[in-house]
Amino acid sequence: MDIRDDSLQKIARRHWYNFVDPVTKLLLALFLTMLSFDFTPLYFEISLVLFSLTLLLLSRLSKATVNAVSFCLFLIVTMVVIQGLFYSHNVHPLFSVMTITFYREGFLYAATMSARILIIIFAIGFFMGTTTVSENAKYLESIGMPYKLVYLLMSVCYILPQIQQNLSKIQFVERARGINPQKTVMQKVRSILPILIPLIIKTFDQSINRSITLQLRGFDRPERTLATPKYPYFKAKFSHYLLSIVILLLIGCKLWQIISRFL
Amino acid sequence: MKENGIDTKASRFNMWKLHLSVATVTLIPAAVGINYVAKAFAEGLKLPLWLGSLGTYLASMLAGPTAGAISGFINNIIYGLTLSPVSTVYSITSIAIGIVVGVLFNRGWFSNVKRVFVSAILIALTSAIISTPLNVIFWGGQTGIPWGDALFATMIGNHINIWIASFTDEFVLDIMDKVVVAYLAFFIYRQLPQRMINYFKDNQ
Repeated sequence: MDIRDDSLQKIARRHWYNFVDPVTKLLLALFLTMLSFDFTPLYFEISLVLFSLTLLLLSRLSKATVNAVSFCLFLIVTMVVIQGLFYSHNVHPLFSVMTITFYREGFLYAATMSARILIIIFAIGFFMGTTTVSENAKYLESIGMPYKLVYLLMSVCYILPQIQQNLSKIQFVERARGINPQKTVMQKVRSILPILIPLIIKTFDQSINRSITLQLRGFDRPERTLATPKYPYFKAKFSHYLLSIVILLLIGCKLWQIISRFL
Repeated sequence: MKENGIDTKASRFNMWKLHLSVATVTLIPAAVGINYVAKAFAEGLKLPLWLGSLGTYLASMLAGPTAGAISGFINNIIYGLTLSPVSTVYSITSIAIGIVVGVLFNRGWFSNVKRVFVSAILIALTSAIISTPLNVIFWGGQTGIPWGDALFATMIGNHINIWIASFTDEFVLDIMDKVVVAYLAFFIYRQLPQRMINYFKDNQ
């Protein structure tokens, strides 16, 4: 099915993931995360990792997801080493490297937690790769989220590049003035203020200007035209209710597991 | 009263106002941007600090705990959606930091250099208390900072309880970061033009 985006005047092909609304995608991520917390056997965790990875690969693998995986990989490796060596329930040796012994219990514990981290990254990656800022903004407002909150969430995505641009401009000016890169930690901390103060003042000045502009345009007026969602979605409300009920049940189940340990 | 730094009475605001004015709505994204850039800046300089709560501190000081809490929350959501999805759960810690900074600032605990140090310790304690259970649930108690984790591994290796080891790991890192950020926020706030401070206070 094809859809015409009037603002861009171009034809965009709709993929299967465009039929799933942004909130359902987020609830799905939460559902998979809760499943991984409720059912701990490693084979179940691995199947959840594979499921979320398949979901991601069948949609769009974004650069942000690859970055997130590489960001967490170091932590996962250190977690496996630390828990494999020092986990408090370590009993059965798994393997030894010279005089250092890795234990089965710690290894399994770290593997379970690593699987959870990967599930969260892949499921959120699915959401990130398949939705856009404007799609999320329009959809959130159309389902009743206060427009101020929608503005808050979405404006950050547009303001960030502006602040980064200001930062590189200020750093360029500082370098042009002959301020050299600092070597010691104290020198580095001291060098922060001459860059951060102008950056922050400029950023706040721009937000004052933005605030005046919004006030003049009647941002606070109660009569507003609601944004309409970008795409028609497949059974959005039903998916929200179903996933929310299942998530609540899983949370209840987990809480019961924790409470029953003390009974 | 001006106590060698920030005029505490003149800077006070309505602490628990939940209605978001247009000024606050535009301040919050700016604060989130400052958090993001300050963190990237610290990473670029290879500092052993995060600095990722500087914007939250400033938002709390300019527009109250609600603005600070929302800045912290959105910061972690955006960071979680772009860099590290697990960071999203630490939004609870950021909300608490925003609230504590706003309350302390309003009660005059950011008025001079000595008081800022006490505030920083309280903020670090709050942050460590809230982050420890999250570290245990998601990372087996680790923080992800190599030398903090080395301390954690040493303590676990000496059969010290995982909660105490994780809290120590988190607190040692937090105390340094929060003290530096508190002083940065204090000095930056003093440099802000009075019209800017008044604008956010009056339009709260």
